[in-house]
Amino acid sequence: MLRALLHYFLIGGLLFGGKALLDRRQSDGPEITVRVPLAASQAEIDRSTREAILLNETRRHGWDRRDPIVYSHLVRNMRFIEPESTESDSELYRRALDMDMHGHDPIVRARLLYRAREALAYVPDDRMPTRRDLVEYSQENAERFEREGSVRFQQVFLSGSKRGEALAAEASAMRDRLAKLEGASPKGLGDPLPGLRSEQSATPSKVRAEYGDDLASLLEEDVLGVWRGPVSSVYGLHFIKVISREPDYVPSLDLIGPEVRADLLRDIREELREERMDALRDEYTVHVERLP
Amino acid sequence: MPRSLIASLGALFILVSPACSNDDGGFVDRPGRCSDFDELRQVYWGDTHIHTELSFDANMQGTRTTQDDAYAFARGEPITLQPYEEDGTPTRMAQIDRPLDFVTLSDHAEFLGTIKVCNDPEAMGYESRQCRDYRTAQEFDATAEEVGRSFVEINGFTAFPPDLVRYPELCGPDGVFCIDAGMDVWGDIIEKAEAAYDRSASCQFTTFPGYEWSSGPASRNLHRNVMFKDTNVTELPYSYFDEPYAEDLWARLKEECLDPDNGCDVLAIPHNTNLSDGIYFENRMADGQPFTAEYAELRLQLEPVIELYQHKGASECLPGESNSDELCGFEVIPFATLAATNLNRITPPNPKGFLRYAYGEGMKLEDTLGVNPFEYGITAATDTHISAPGLVAEDDFKGHGGAGQPNRFLPAPVGFPDIEYLSGGGLTAVWAEENARDSIFSAFRRKETFGTSGPRIVVRMFGGWEYPDDLCSAEDLAAQGYAGGVPMGGRLGTQVGEGGPKFVVSARQDPTGAPLQRIQVIKGWLEGGEQQIQVYEVAGEPDNGASVDLNTCAPLGDGASDLCSVWEDPDFDPSQRAYYYTRVIENPTCRWTTWQCSAADYDCSEWNYEQCVETQTSSGNSYLCDCCDPAAGLNVEWCEAVDCSDPTSLPAAEARCCVPRVETSIQERAWTSPIWYQPPG
Repeated sequence: MLRALLHYFLIGGLLFGGKALLDRRQSDGPEITVRVPLAASQAEIDRSTREAILLNETRRHGWDRRDPIVYSHLVRNMRFIEPESTESDSELYRRALDMDMHGHDPIVRARLLYRAREALAYVPDDRMPTRRDLVEYSQENAERFEREGSVRFQQVFLSGSKRGEALAAEASAMRDRLAKLEGASPKGLGDPLPGLRSEQSATPSKVRAEYGDDLASLLEEDVLGVWRGPVSSVYGLHFIKVISREPDYVPSLDLIGPEVRADLLRDIREELREERMDALRDEYTVHVERLP
Repeated sequence: MPRSLIASLGALFILVSPACSNDDGGFVDRPGRCSDFDELRQVYWGDTHIHTELSFDANMQGTRTTQDDAYAFARGEPITLQPYEEDGTPTRMAQIDRPLDFVTLSDHAEFLGTIKVCNDPEAMGYESRQCRDYRTAQEFDATAEEVGRSFVEINGFTAFPPDLVRYPELCGPDGVFCIDAGMDVWGDIIEKAEAAYDRSASCQFTTFPGYEWSSGPASRNLHRNVMFKDTNVTELPYSYFDEPYAEDLWARLKEECLDPDNGCDVLAIPHNTNLSDGIYFENRMADGQPFTAEYAELRLQLEPVIELYQHKGASECLPGESNSDELCGFEVIPFATLAATNLNRITPPNPKGFLRYAYGEGMKLEDTLGVNPFEYGITAATDTHISAPGLVAEDDFKGHGGAGQPNRFLPAPVGFPDIEYLSGGGLTAVWAEENARDSIFSAFRRKETFGTSGPRIVVRMFGGWEYPDDLCSAEDLAAQGYAGGVPMGGRLGTQVGEGGPKFVVSARQDPTGAPLQRIQVIKGWLEGGEQQIQVYEVAGEPDNGASVDLNTCAPLGDGASDLCSVWEDPDFDPSQRAYYYTRVIENPTCRWTTWQCSAADYDCSEWNYEQCVETQTSSGNSYLCDCCDPAAGLNVEWCEAVDCSDPTSLPAAEARCCVPRVETSIQERAWTSPIWYQPPG
């Protein structure tokens, strides 16, 4: 949804950006009056001024008349006021605009300010972190982005609850059977346990959380391609064959880009927001009116 | 950058290039991207009810930890807990022993903007009286009275009736200051959820943006947690102040998220129906009229699951109802409303606020409307207010704040860190193909979920008509389960043959928890227009003799590490609506209160209740006071001589024999989502 809206604003921006530039040639910049409570502090006045400028900008460019959220909100308001109305949404919307509902509704106001702030914080191409920036950042903070390596293994399980006293003897028989399997799949051997699979990929820490230390430790040993065990867990006995092992790794930037970029962009956005707001403020002539 | 270009927002957008619009890096969250993908699904653990410093109540209770901290905690990192020293040094820490797989942070939507306004010197509203009171209450040397006053003054708005509810005055006309600020906070929430989501093939951690809609007219809880599938979200986190009726909230979510057909998906999770004083499942819409089919459809669409258990108690069933379910008393708290819980004021809970009632009423509504609005799947959560998702261990209980004891003030708690009736809360588990947003969220949608009271008991349930009796021995149980029927949360198809439906239920214990005692299937059905309940023991040994040593908390007796059964309903009537859910029961273990008392050094012969009340007011709790109070269930033998027919006539200490008691030992458990049966036609 946000991307669609961004494109929507892009079109609005293209149309009205040109107009704004043209307007600026004809005057020294917009002039607005900001009304604040009598006892408003300087910080409150500054805040009100910034908001008034942003709202003025959104209205100058007609965003209050074209935003889809504003549209649906105003239609909803009208349907609440006139529940019996049979007019179409667009007709109700037109009448809401005639009533200047968009100028006074707090949701509309919040929506416009939000979009304006988002626009202020928009990061242009030349300020976007480059791949090199991200690589450098992820290398400098590698431990933050590192993932535990996983192990692909086959497993045969014998349930202590089901087999009771016969467990040890049946484990011995299973060991012999597995030794004869060679490369064949163990599917169909052993007992079911909810969530246990005959072949899976998992990190040792995940296995440790599910089945305990003994099984996890066996997985961590550097032995591939042979059936090992049994090792015990609270559930019974497990035989394991490790098929492959992946070491700990830092995923490629294609995958963790958002994580890395989120940290960097937070700072960049803040900087841009301030830069652009200051520039806008310089363009405006603001009169402050204190109200009792 | 040339000034002429940046001087208008319109010009700013000229710079926007669709190709570089924002930060997804071209990532597509396609199914099968995780290295452990399994089409037969696996279990993932999560917590969908978490508060941080962004929630007003948590904030007032001294919680200083952020959403980033909560995500880190869920991944297994330690977190600091209040009370803090004046220089910010924490006096307590917490850490979970196993990371969670997914979380939804659900800070209260009502005050996201309020906190920001009151902390931002440039904000309109910053100098309001309410904000000044708030900041006074935030000072290190604030008194309990100052904190209490500010809390009531602001949080009290959530207890207004829906037709009168509004933003606090500090938010300005129509709440505009707080709506503005709240929208910024919502943007940050989404950004943080996005950054914490693991997109690598390891798929170690999944996040869902969310918030809590906190309606509590007259303190009767109607809260819901809103959980989005991904960062495709509504523009505002709609709060009780914006949308005072649940159906208005659903309408918003439908209109802005579900209807546009742009991939947005959202659900609302009801919780603490036990504290609604019986109104949560009332057959009454905002206009006072009974449900319509349209209303029921919308409710079912937006609310597929319910949070059955959390730190403010269980909402499954109430002991003493017209059924013989002896296990209904588990963690039922003796309060009817949120305020009663906040004030620790004993009030009898209303049976109409419990899920069993809702399931019965839902079937009746389906008879008349054709839709069951209460066809809920089951989840559980912590509702932590200290940014500590998944902190559920009975032997490491810190108190979750919220309605409980805040632990804001120094010294660090000695004695119980929370009201004895509250608990550590639970966890949600889902059966999903992989730990990725689409997969986990789909599990919620189809209700292939179960809740636990904390332990990671794994349970699987399938229902069908023709499962073989030896299915429990089949290594491909899950494949046969799906092929021959439906998983938990599903609806049974048309009856096949003459017999009743068959259910295969399979469970394994938490590897670090207690063994299992038994598996039960709870059946509810409509007969003569009324709900009937039957509890069937289907696996394990209800009388296995297991217990726990209350002095040491050492477990006694044996249990099963895993249990499985294929069970056929012997009393099935194909003309009756019915539901079936599974309850897996552990052997007894110590409740947190008993754990803390077993580790403490005290002598109940020195217990003096009046002195304890006085000491509590001036310098906090003590184990002597907490553990010897009969409410903790341990020092109760002398109570046999106390006549509770008129507790008000008794000396204060003896009157403590007459208040509800917590269980000294509990049987932790898991609850599956039900499988439903609808008669033909």
